[in-house]
Amino acid sequence: MLMFALKNMAIKRVQIILIVLSIVISAGIGVLAFNVAQQVDDGITDNAGYYSLIVGPAGSSTQLAMNTMYFAEEPVGTIPYEVVSDLQRDQRVIQVIPFAMADNYNGYGVVGTTADFLSTKAVAAGVMLADGESMQAVVGANVAKYNGLQVGDVIYTSHSAGSSETHTQGLTVVGILQESHSSFDNIVFTQLHTLWEMHDHGGEEHEEEHDHAHKTVCAVLVNAKNPGLAMQLVNEYHGKIITEEGKSHTLQAIEPMAVVRDVLNDADNTKYIVFVLCAVILVMNIMIISIITLLNMYHSAKEISLMRLIGISMKRINLLYILQNGMIGLLSTLLAFCVSRACLLLMNDYVSSMGVVLNMSKVYPAELLILLGVFLISVLPTMIWTYFMARKDSIHE
Amino acid sequence: MIEIKGISKQFQNETEIDYRDMTFESGRSYMLLGASGCGKSTLLNMIAGILSPTKGSITIDGRDMSAATQKERDRFRIERIGYIFQDFKLINDMTVADNIGILRLEGVDISGMDEMLKHLAIYEKKNARVKHLSGGQKQRVAIARALVKRPDIILADEPTGNLNFAIGEQVMRELCEVSRGKTLIAVTHDDRLAKYFDVIIDMNEMTSGMRDTVSEQGGV
Repeated sequence: MLMFALKNMAIKRVQIILIVLSIVISAGIGVLAFNVAQQVDDGITDNAGYYSLIVGPAGSSTQLAMNTMYFAEEPVGTIPYEVVSDLQRDQRVIQVIPFAMADNYNGYGVVGTTADFLSTKAVAAGVMLADGESMQAVVGANVAKYNGLQVGDVIYTSHSAGSSETHTQGLTVVGILQESHSSFDNIVFTQLHTLWEMHDHGGEEHEEEHDHAHKTVCAVLVNAKNPGLAMQLVNEYHGKIITEEGKSHTLQAIEPMAVVRDVLNDADNTKYIVFVLCAVILVMNIMIISIITLLNMYHSAKEISLMRLIGISMKRINLLYILQNGMIGLLSTLLAFCVSRACLLLMNDYVSSMGVVLNMSKVYPAELLILLGVFLISVLPTMIWTYFMARKDSIHE
Repeated sequence: MIEIKGISKQFQNETEIDYRDMTFESGRSYMLLGASGCGKSTLLNMIAGILSPTKGSITIDGRDMSAATQKERDRFRIERIGYIFQDFKLINDMTVADNIGILRLEGVDISGMDEMLKHLAIYEKKNARVKHLSGGQKQRVAIARALVKRPDIILADEPTGNLNFAIGEQVMRELCEVSRGKTLIAVTHDDRLAKYFDVIIDMNEMTSGMRDTVSEQGGV
């Protein structure tokens, strides 16, 4: 029966290809939209959840979070390094990472920090930053790839993108990060004190700027011993005013998870629109698939009648058509799944700017439900048809 | 042996045909002659179990087929009867082999297919699509499909109806040859083919009632 079903399908290949395409497109879009929305949501939240709190200058909390976690947007401003020292002495804290973002290399941002900041990353070549060394650079995968950098090369950063005026001191590339499809791929990392040194030894024309750069950071990433202590620290540091060299600085302390959640809540409306659109596409395709299948079966009436005349039972004929449409449904759902994964791969570079890596092997139960639904939709019209055919035997027509 | 006793068939359009009692002996060939609409094809369809008589009985080898269920009649038709239809009843987009292979859906042994196709001089077209065959070739495929399962009873409805006389006679000769020793009941209106049969039955004399076409034409 399987062979006969396959041969029968081969005869109707154009019709079947159209049905399969219709199912693959609708189911693929549905599954892809769900998966991407969910993974972006989960990924952003996961990234945000890595640190208990971030302390930075007063201003936009979203800007502070986006700048420190995804290197997006400009830093809110700077705060004295004294804040870092205070936090390092705090018994409630288990990890303190200073973060400064200044300068750029051919358009790629330069971050000054400590080796801890890259503790979750791995190098594809060379070694990681060493806190005891200076004038080192560990570059992201894209920075190395698009600038042809190798370990041992010396790079010269500048104050602003496109500026021909570079620092006279070069940074030696000691490591190249493994590609992570995240914003880390597009950044040059160096020691925080290296960033200060470069600015201290700049030309006279930047004297004022160098004064500001000296012993300042853009933010401090903190991990507290527990969420309760993290909350205490946020309350303590948020709005705190510190004075250095007669100049006062107002701090803000944020819980990155809460900030990102707020951002995602705003984005949720867009996500729902995507889901509604997908649902509409799916419903339309349910109708199209049903109509195509029923028309197909209607046109098969002559063939069914012929088989009945030579003695093939309705039971066998029903099984044959259910088998055929089952195979079409199975093939379509498998292809839809594969297409959605291929699209995930293609979309990875795009969403990596948000620091999210789309995992091709990540499958949500809801995706399986969508695919199961699509499979049933492709088989259901045949079952309905064969039910009526069994009740009204075409041999008598 | 096939025994027809007191059967009549009433159709939805109120047309009714009454049949006289008939007996078809096993292993003999019968030619049913008669005008269009006199009930020849209807009789074949009732013997094949495709139609049920409105009243009366059709007994095949002692088994009353008119009392059998549709499922039993289907089973009997696939196992015991080879039916050659006037319009071939072949799936045009399928190959010759697949049109015969369709019988495997019911577990019919078609191992004799190649031999049958060779015997009917159509073997070289085994993998050709039916739509590319001539009328004579299609008829041979229909005969091969009917006989490949080695049925006891062969029913042929106008087997030469779509063919010119020369090809029709050749097909009839081949049909009689491959069905030797079996019960063959063939419907035709061409009495030039009578020489190929053991018994000729004039269906105009064997039926009566409101036979629409026959009545209009006044019979043959």
